[in-house]
Amino acid sequence: MDIIGIIIAGLFSQNFVLVQFLGICPFLGVSKKIDNAVGMGLAVTFVMVITCLVTYPLYQYVLVPLGLDYLQIIVFILVIASLVQMLEMILKKFMPGLYSAMGIYLPLVTTNCAIMGVAKIITDATVYTNIGTAVMYGLFSGLGFTLAIVLLAGMREKLDKLNLPKALRGFPITLIVACFMAMAFSVFSLVKF
Amino acid sequence: MLNILSFFEETATTIDWGKVGISVAIAGGIALVLGLLIIGISRLCQVKEDPRINEVNDLLAGANCGACGYAGCAGFAKALVEGKADISACGQTSKANVIEIGNILGISVSGNTEETIAVVACAGGNLCADKYQYQGYGNCVSQQLLAGGKKACETGCMGAGSCVDVCPYTAIEVRDGYAHVDPDLCRSCGLCIQTCPKSLIKRVPKSAKVYVACSTNCRGKDVMNKCKAGCISCGICEKNCPTGAIHLVNNVPIIDYSKCTNCGLCLEKCPRKIIRYVHPDKQ
Repeated sequence: MDIIGIIIAGLFSQNFVLVQFLGICPFLGVSKKIDNAVGMGLAVTFVMVITCLVTYPLYQYVLVPLGLDYLQIIVFILVIASLVQMLEMILKKFMPGLYSAMGIYLPLVTTNCAIMGVAKIITDATVYTNIGTAVMYGLFSGLGFTLAIVLLAGMREKLDKLNLPKALRGFPITLIVACFMAMAFSVFSLVKF
Repeated sequence: MLNILSFFEETATTIDWGKVGISVAIAGGIALVLGLLIIGISRLCQVKEDPRINEVNDLLAGANCGACGYAGCAGFAKALVEGKADISACGQTSKANVIEIGNILGISVSGNTEETIAVVACAGGNLCADKYQYQGYGNCVSQQLLAGGKKACETGCMGAGSCVDVCPYTAIEVRDGYAHVDPDLCRSCGLCIQTCPKSLIKRVPKSAKVYVACSTNCRGKDVMNKCKAGCISCGICEKNCPTGAIHLVNNVPIIDYSKCTNCGLCLEKCPRKIIRYVHPDKQ
């Protein structure tokens, strides 16, 4: 898979939220305001890159040679959660600006299924043949998540001002909007590279 | 029962204990290394927090209403200690605790400690003319987007109740087409003040007797055309005030509560009855 294919896959055709339906809970939970959505999206992107950077070599050079590939999920949970915890502490000490922008979202992201999903995809799929492509996929999947959550947040801010039937206000209309977004994004999965 | 037992016996013989050992060792080893790393980093990267932040946080009201503009009382406490926020932004913390916080932070808070309540500086409502009929979502904030709301008066309460929605103490209700604050329930948190798109809600001292229930800045003649309740800038209150506490500013009386003696003369003399009691039930 070439680089453009990975970019398109991460952003559109294999968009984590709208095509693979992973990471739905922050998608609905943190999309009330655009500011919060951007913070959450950046935190997810950051953790996804770290995840790919660590889990890919761990799986290829430790678990597979030892024949322990069935341990991948439990080891990934351990490694991702502790790494994010460490990074949070390092950020708090050395980059307080960045920490205040996405610090509160980091603990929410650690055990998210989108993160586990990206780790599982880069280790299982045969197209990611080296760590470079794996990290690229993580980066653009995170950006695809950011794109989806910011788009939804923008629409929800507008929806708050509409005179909707009472039964549709709040989450029902959000789910309907998310459904239409998913239908629109599913068209991208027809694109082949 | 026998079947289950035999199942366990069969599986027990097929378990590869060596493999289990390796799995446990690898998972446990990774967990141990990561745990040690976390301990090490938390020692290295310890951020010293000001102990005063916790003390101030304990003294704040703890309602986490967010009216001060920070994410809850903890955020406000942090901003207070850093000197970024002003304690008067919180209307809920009791007077004694505010003084205590002043002592902790080494600042003087004497000028700001008078308890306040909110009043709605408009009494137009149904007496004020509409410039169009609004048929949208029933909320002042959305109505304001359409040519500044339906009221003919620029500073007229639309009565659609955005303030009622945000009030955590159910102290506001809309009667006769405009909002009323119940002085017994109001705790001066300030959420309605931030929400009102026309900025009609203001704070007055809790001890005050009267307030001006109009915010117009139009001339008397223009008010006469639009509103049967609004202030017509006649200046009778200003002339009759024995202590000079009332002055007309931009065509509307402003009461200086530091000079007001609560005599109530302005309220009696006002021809439009637009100066009103803050606590109508107690009169």
